[in-house]
Amino acid sequence: MKIKKILALILTAVMLMSIVTACGSSSDYNCKCDVIQLEFSIWGDESERESTQGALDVFNAMQSDIFVSLVQIPNEQYGERLRTLQTANNMPDCGMIDERTAIGWTREGLIKKIDIYEGQPSRPFAGITFSDGGQPIGYSIGSEVLALWFNRDMFDAAGVPYPPTTLDTAWQWDEFIEVAKLLTLDANGNNLNSPNFDATSIVQYGVYVNQWAWQLEVWALSNGGRWYSEDGTRAVFDDAAIEAMQKVYDLHLVHGVAPFNPAQTDDGWWDSVGAGNVAMCTEGQWATGFTMFSDINYGVGVLPYMKQQANITAGGPVGVFADTKHPEAAATFLRWYSDPESNWAPILDGWVMPNTTDWFTEEAKLTRWIDEVPNRARLDARAFRTAVADVALHPGTVPTGWYYTPGTDQIDRVLIPALVEAANGSKTVKEVIESVRPALEAAVSGN
Amino acid sequence: MAGKKKKKSLMEKKEQRAAYVFLIPAFLGLSLITYIPLLAAMAIGFTDLRTGHFVRNRVLPPPRFVGFDNFVEIFTNPTIDFLNSIGVTVYYALFAVISSVFYSFFIAILLNRKIPGRAILRAIFYLPYILPAAAVMISWHFLLRYEGGLINYFLVNLGFERSHFLSASETVIPSLVMIAVWQCGNLIVIFLAGLQNVPRVYLEAAEIDGANFLKRFRHITVPCMTPIIFFNMLMSLVVSLQVVVPALSVTRGGPGKSSMFMTFLMYHVGFREGDLGKGSAISFIFFILAAILAAILFMTSKSWIFYEEGED
Repeated sequence: MKIKKILALILTAVMLMSIVTACGSSSDYNCKCDVIQLEFSIWGDESERESTQGALDVFNAMQSDIFVSLVQIPNEQYGERLRTLQTANNMPDCGMIDERTAIGWTREGLIKKIDIYEGQPSRPFAGITFSDGGQPIGYSIGSEVLALWFNRDMFDAAGVPYPPTTLDTAWQWDEFIEVAKLLTLDANGNNLNSPNFDATSIVQYGVYVNQWAWQLEVWALSNGGRWYSEDGTRAVFDDAAIEAMQKVYDLHLVHGVAPFNPAQTDDGWWDSVGAGNVAMCTEGQWATGFTMFSDINYGVGVLPYMKQQANITAGGPVGVFADTKHPEAAATFLRWYSDPESNWAPILDGWVMPNTTDWFTEEAKLTRWIDEVPNRARLDARAFRTAVADVALHPGTVPTGWYYTPGTDQIDRVLIPALVEAANGSKTVKEVIESVRPALEAAVSGN
Repeated sequence: MAGKKKKKSLMEKKEQRAAYVFLIPAFLGLSLITYIPLLAAMAIGFTDLRTGHFVRNRVLPPPRFVGFDNFVEIFTNPTIDFLNSIGVTVYYALFAVISSVFYSFFIAILLNRKIPGRAILRAIFYLPYILPAAAVMISWHFLLRYEGGLINYFLVNLGFERSHFLSASETVIPSLVMIAVWQCGNLIVIFLAGLQNVPRVYLEAAEIDGANFLKRFRHITVPCMTPIIFFNMLMSLVVSLQVVVPALSVTRGGPGKSSMFMTFLMYHVGFREGDLGKGSAISFIFFILAAILAAILFMTSKSWIFYEEGED
């Protein structure tokens, strides 16, 4: 019995010790106490982890005051995981922020309300600056705009000229549909204008407009409408916005030039041009990165328009998290990390464009990130300059709603599933929007 | 001897003490991981606690007791619309439980017969259960796609209309139930074990008396299997009420709100949007609802479960 007792006591002691150890802080582990230790969190896959770690290695080697270590979190769990870390008082010092939550997190106090560029001579351009009540609260580390991507071989086979690459020659919406008809083919090679066209055996569609909810905002703007009020205090979704969205869904429902696209998941590129069965698709500049994964002969052009030229900016921001003990050091690091010269790999691979104006206006810099980067050069560097780079600073290009509107995460939760009913034609866009309007308004107003 | 307390021997007392000591880890584990969080979640449901309250230099005012405000708001706030979620979840759960139990019982009966390749077939039917749920869901998403989906390819070639499956409000729940049924290999295994314990003597006696297969099944197999049917229904009900993977990985609660399951809503409100008070209120009602449905099942069970040796 004595042995039993001793064994029981040992087991209990071991268990209690393990609980105490698990609950204890490990932040001092491997502490290099003479330097400031920072944790920097990112989302993304293994290749993004490697490229980010490469940047951190450079930063850690070039100075001896701050040491930054990387915390990688899967993309689909990023916000949830950070919130959980916050409840455990184990939040990283700084990191990437989900665009949709940037304003909400700042208001909730999870992100420090500091301008990392305060007092600096240059900063990212206005289109990629997150602001709350007019005050900057964060900046995208790279910039993005939407473009029209296409398969050159499909255009060549159909004898159709490539899409325009300058804003002044962009297709009007109806022209765009007419071209899409020429590129929609059945199994016998007949296009949609042919009397022999068999709609039950379509093997190639003309177009795929990305309907992942936030990307639809660009068509509302193009049609003279708005999703949100300019000050980000109201959900507008006016008639022009509704009409524009219906026009997008009608590409499939009425014109038959686009595949059915419920947009329940964000895989537009790989469902369309990237899959090799659609001639054109709309997608962000980041598609330059996708093009390196296939041997399709890609090209890039400007978006078509409805009533006016419009485009939207996007790009993941970084921020200083609330509980860091070293906000100045974190801001210093984030400034360095956001500088294209420091963090060149994502630009080189095609995932982002630079974030300051000089990279879009100075010829030497334009050459460096467009003409000398193979992923962009093979799209045709001249076309990329006018169809994408020039668009970033064009007056018709405005920040996506999440740069100035709170609650866009909640709006996504409501809008993405709701719009499937417009995509499948069981409801009109007007019916869908009116059914969720109270929820959209509540999400933005926070009530 | 009833009513007379037997005095415990020294040995018994020592063993009792040892038993308590050995139970400490399990008790602590259950308390720390299950009961305390459960009680905490209930309590949080009556506060306006958010993730932002855990920030050391918080900008939010201190969390406060808000009574039943969260419970009222989850039913009245249009961004949450909890009533819809309850309806959707109960619809899915009942549909999935009934379909899974019928299907798995039927397959178990077939697999209980002496047929060639029985062992392989049993493995094939069990396999879906051990596959990762998210991977299964994404694979089915591709199979059920409106364009390019294998199932629609076969439907069209057989002369049927294409179906939207996961992308139409009318078909999304039946499609998800179909996937749940396909995954219920565990129920089949439990039914199989039960079928092998049906006393052969009853079946043989009935056969000698001239009872055909259907009569033997109706009057012997089914009554003997009722405890197993009850167990499988209960397990299936609990799992189905907790459904979240389809919404997380594919449907995002849609089309419309037709797959906005309670657990998905709870996850979104509590973890993604950081509103721990409302998230906990949802989980509290979810807990009550699950308990009510389980209690109904238990109450009805008395009238249809057959215990061979009487109830204990």
